[in-house]
Amino acid sequence: MEQKTSVKILSAKQITIQNPLCEEWMENPLEYSEDYVRAVDPDFKQFISAGDARRMGKLLKRALATSLSALQEGGIENPDAIITGTGFGSIENTELFLDALVREGEQLLKPTQFMQSTHNTASSLIGIHTHCHGYNSTYSQKGFSFDSALYDAWMQFCVGRIKSALVGSHDEMSPVFSGFVRKAGHVREGEICSEAAISVLLAENGDNAYCTLEGVKLFDTPSEETLRKVLADMTAGSIDAVMTGMSGNRDNDLWYGFLNAMLPGVPQLKYKPVFGVNFSSSATGFYSAACCIREGRIPAILTTDGKPLECRKGILAVNVVEGRHYSFSLLKPCGK
Amino acid sequence: MTGDKSVLITGCGIVSAIGQDCGQVLDSLLQVRTGVGPLKYLRTEHTEFPVGEVKLSDEEMERMMGIAPGTPTTRTALMGMIALHEALGEAKLGRDDLKECGFVNGTTVGGMDKSEQYYLDFIENDSRNAYINTHDCGSCSEMIADRFGRFKMITTISTACSSAANAIEMAADMIRLGEADIVVAGGSECITKFHLNGFNSLMILDHDQCRPFDAGRAGLNLGEGAAFVVLEEASHATARNARVLARLSGYGNACDAFHQTASSPDGEGAYLAMSKALAMAGLKPSDIDYVNAHGTGTPNNDESESQAMMRVFGKDLPPVSSTKGMTGHTTSASGAIETVICILALRNGFLPVNFGFSNPMDNGIVPNMELNRGCKLRHVLCNSFGFGGNDSSLVISAVE
Repeated sequence: MEQKTSVKILSAKQITIQNPLCEEWMENPLEYSEDYVRAVDPDFKQFISAGDARRMGKLLKRALATSLSALQEGGIENPDAIITGTGFGSIENTELFLDALVREGEQLLKPTQFMQSTHNTASSLIGIHTHCHGYNSTYSQKGFSFDSALYDAWMQFCVGRIKSALVGSHDEMSPVFSGFVRKAGHVREGEICSEAAISVLLAENGDNAYCTLEGVKLFDTPSEETLRKVLADMTAGSIDAVMTGMSGNRDNDLWYGFLNAMLPGVPQLKYKPVFGVNFSSSATGFYSAACCIREGRIPAILTTDGKPLECRKGILAVNVVEGRHYSFSLLKPCGK
Repeated sequence: MTGDKSVLITGCGIVSAIGQDCGQVLDSLLQVRTGVGPLKYLRTEHTEFPVGEVKLSDEEMERMMGIAPGTPTTRTALMGMIALHEALGEAKLGRDDLKECGFVNGTTVGGMDKSEQYYLDFIENDSRNAYINTHDCGSCSEMIADRFGRFKMITTISTACSSAANAIEMAADMIRLGEADIVVAGGSECITKFHLNGFNSLMILDHDQCRPFDAGRAGLNLGEGAAFVVLEEASHATARNARVLARLSGYGNACDAFHQTASSPDGEGAYLAMSKALAMAGLKPSDIDYVNAHGTGTPNNDESESQAMMRVFGKDLPPVSSTKGMTGHTTSASGAIETVICILALRNGFLPVNFGFSNPMDNGIVPNMELNRGCKLRHVLCNSFGFGGNDSSLVISAVE
């Protein structure tokens, strides 16, 4: 069965290594020379009481702030679904619990650290905070977690179960684990190891939408034939550019080589030099694409030749993780 | 609305404290034999807690799965491989078939068993770097899947103790939408010191054999295991002459939206999950012949779940049991393990017994204690609830 549906993106919010909860990065991006950079946090007081904030790790505070901000701008208090991606979950609390367990033994461990180490804490916290009893799920598939959450949200709309969804992806990075992900090759030479919290509000109806989402596809190790077919299907109405996960690291960028052959002449954009690399990176790319379409232009900071582009037809967001997990999300201007 | 395809179950595989395949698990259920006992495989200071361990060492599982010694792997991945091997074999799916199949795994602990062993090595030297890559949930799913080939797509759900149930729901949605004709879904989770201590810090572990729905219940026993079901679109199953075990006729996911580690007194999330599942299946509460409860044995869960079941079923409460007295609480895998138990009950005509129960609790349900062999079950409901109020219910129906 071919899916024929379209969903509006009502709002998209970020807390990353750029100035938070705004799009200042499009014209005046913060630049870094360090290879490990933590997110620039907003003043959380407008979203969370001081008492609540003390009990929450960074990931939870950021997840709640981007979520509440996205809901507010989109004008929806209670979304029908809350779906979240995270590669490591609240890794700072996980590390504190693990470190105490390994170094000090199994007697004096803290329940709040354990509780926050569970990956679904962000999705449930948002559910508790917004009193949303609807569909609630969490995906943890490395740098493919947001893509999986978005795919699930897309399906929930397609089966007719929901009319709105808050989709997010949140990853924090402790100093200790930033060393681990370097060793493991999750973050490569030349890439900034970073943090990100992204929340996107999707709905069937609503005014002042950024753009529309026209489809989401996921694959493991697709054949060349599959890639050609998906690209042909998804770019049939033509697009302005493809949002890639290229970072400047050669090994990473090779995975996007198929785009040169299969989408010749289509400009390729890069968001990782702006937002760094973490398990929620693809969410920063999706967020960037939505912002470009809303503005009708792609800022120079994202383009390979350093010149801004018009954005009137749409963007295909492509994510490739470890050369095997592929996702494709098509975003179009409203009314196109 | 699109997506009205029928979702059949054409294979299942399981490994747990009460058996290493469907046949052994069936035998244990019929003998009412618990797999909960003293710790044997996990090295921990907390030897006072009974657990439902899979009665195999990592090395034994590696040999069973033909994994070369020294290959970086985790206990969660190994158990997942054993269960997936059985499920794919039963559904007669080979390496080439997987290219058209989805794979959705549920886990939360992932590779924590190795991370807690090698954490200091990760910090101090490079001797165990390969295990950094097995730490996260997603790598666990990849290791399980890659043992058998490459699937069309892979992802991992991590909603704590309802992970596997939500994996089955997501997989079923994929089939209803025609995203794939076959999706294999379930979950895997080994016991680690990390979450044994986590549950202990929350004071929800029983020092004795757990007693779900009993007045004297004092917490849960941790278990471990893995299970997968092969979900298949009906016409596809017919075309390839697949053996149909059961039908997934409905499912519901809801959020209790109450507390990160406690269930609401009226069981709102559980009530909504069960109600949604029944509505999707087009069934009345009285059509349900058996409920496999989440029934962890904690005072809070069993009280909240009792309230929710009484709200859904009223006077028509069908036989209910928790099988966690036998398997232990297999956390992220429990939704799939209990789905397989429900399929075994449907196909073999019996009611699983609520091992550990003796005295009814105030304002609670009285669980089933009779096997009632030879009974005919048409529709059963399987509950899985997780931290954060991630509540899910599945309706599994017999096929004629």
